[in-house]
Amino acid sequence: MSESIIETKGLCKSYGGTLRVKDLHMVVPEGAIYGFLGPNGAGKSTTLKMLLGLTHPTGGEIEILHQRMNDKNRLSVLRDIGSLIESPSYYGHLTGEENLRILQILRKAPEQNIAEVLKIVRLTGQKDKKASQYSLGMKQRLGLAAALLSHPRLLILDEPTNGLDPAGIQEMRELICELPQQFGMTVVVSSHLLSEIDQMATHVGVIANGVLVYQDTMAHLHEKSEHHLALRTLNNASAQALLRHHGIISEQREEVLLLPPLPDRTIADCISMLTAQQIGIVRIEDRRKNLEDIFLALTEGAASL
Amino acid sequence: MLIRSIRAEYRKLRRSYIWLALLIMPVMSAGFGTFNYLNNLGMLTQQWYSLWTQHALFYCTLFAPALTGVYCAYLCRLEHLNHNWNTVMTQPIPIPTIVLAKLTVVSGLTALTQLFIGALFLLSGKLAGLTAPIPTALPLWLLRGWWSLTTEAALLLFLALAIRSFAIPVGAGILGGFCGIAALVKGFGIYFPFSLLPLSMCSHNPSDSMECSTAAFVISSTGFFLFGYLLCVLWKKHRDTQAG
Repeated sequence: MSESIIETKGLCKSYGGTLRVKDLHMVVPEGAIYGFLGPNGAGKSTTLKMLLGLTHPTGGEIEILHQRMNDKNRLSVLRDIGSLIESPSYYGHLTGEENLRILQILRKAPEQNIAEVLKIVRLTGQKDKKASQYSLGMKQRLGLAAALLSHPRLLILDEPTNGLDPAGIQEMRELICELPQQFGMTVVVSSHLLSEIDQMATHVGVIANGVLVYQDTMAHLHEKSEHHLALRTLNNASAQALLRHHGIISEQREEVLLLPPLPDRTIADCISMLTAQQIGIVRIEDRRKNLEDIFLALTEGAASL
Repeated sequence: MLIRSIRAEYRKLRRSYIWLALLIMPVMSAGFGTFNYLNNLGMLTQQWYSLWTQHALFYCTLFAPALTGVYCAYLCRLEHLNHNWNTVMTQPIPIPTIVLAKLTVVSGLTALTQLFIGALFLLSGKLAGLTAPIPTALPLWLLRGWWSLTTEAALLLFLALAIRSFAIPVGAGILGGFCGIAALVKGFGIYFPFSLLPLSMCSHNPSDSMECSTAAFVISSTGFFLFGYLLCVLWKKHRDTQAG
């Protein structure tokens, strides 16, 4: 196997004859924070549940932690995975600590891990409170503590910030970002919010309608964002003709001319030239096609397939 | 691994209402049985044995199957709520062990229920002023009844795993209890899993021995237990986990 910790080949899942996940080739490098991004209902949870053996694939293969995920290897794979799927799991009539104790017994984890993970998710002060009395943010953090309990090599988190308030989201994000450096974990985190993935992930996979439409490093996705210069003058038609005469092709859109990215020296020359021709420059600004636009383009593209 | 799973299951029962059901339902059952006995003293003349028929009638037909249904439904309800199946099924525990741990806990709860029912029977008899010696078969009735209830539990646990409803395993237990009495009276007791309880507790024929051989009882009950257990395991193995 390569250095990837998860690799799926042709992974499919159908419900009632409809393919919800189609031919998915997902590759998650070891040590990455892999953002699994897609609109609601795109197939994120279904995919993550297949990785964990909660849902049986209709077709394809899953290699996870250098083992094939099947009945035979299921237990040894699960031993090294912590997960938080859909909403947080908890027994409401038990305290936060008692909830963790159950998992500590099941996983045969050292007892001190309970105090340690409670500290990591900042729930030590609330450990004796019943889980049913926790806020949603606290329940999510309890879920994260449960996932971290046996120091897994791989952490799979499905929409961990769903339903949290802005402070809760930031807190969860900080926790997730710390994990790879502090504990050497690989994290797969799903979200329908690009901004969130942008702030956390090193790698990204974009899924839409069950199809993985993009997969690469976050840095590569950023490179896809396009630069434009938007120029507004008192006479856009003349300005466009003049620029074309000097070899600069622009596009008129609404009240501005969109110019390709140009070196600073060329921009300065253009301004001088237009001013010399008494074409009044009203505004010049840098415009960037942001990640949100790219995400929409990627996911809409898949929607029309 | 099984021991750890059983320990974890018992931890889940802390501060739960299940203990209340374990206390209340046997008391109600013994109350009804004793009341019936005291109102029919003219016909019921065999002291402890007569009292036992009345206790066992209510217990085997209604309260014990219902209570076993409650235990199964409760243990599964814990997982059906708050997405807990996701957590349970992503632990490195084999599915047969997960099912067996739950069955062991239900079996443990029915063992406690049986002990409690035995104590309540003795208390009722003393309060009713019975003077004859206590039936020596009592421990045997309770022990065989415990195994019969464990058999019922394996079947009811399957319903509780498959259907996200608290009422269905309880209702099925009650229905099973009534059908079980009917099947027993018709002479098919050994062939119907819910007849095994009244058969083994000698509810209609209070004596040391059952109306069938011990071997037939063990084979039948163990067969139904294994059938229920396998159904549970296959269901959890082959169905996608639905949590919510």
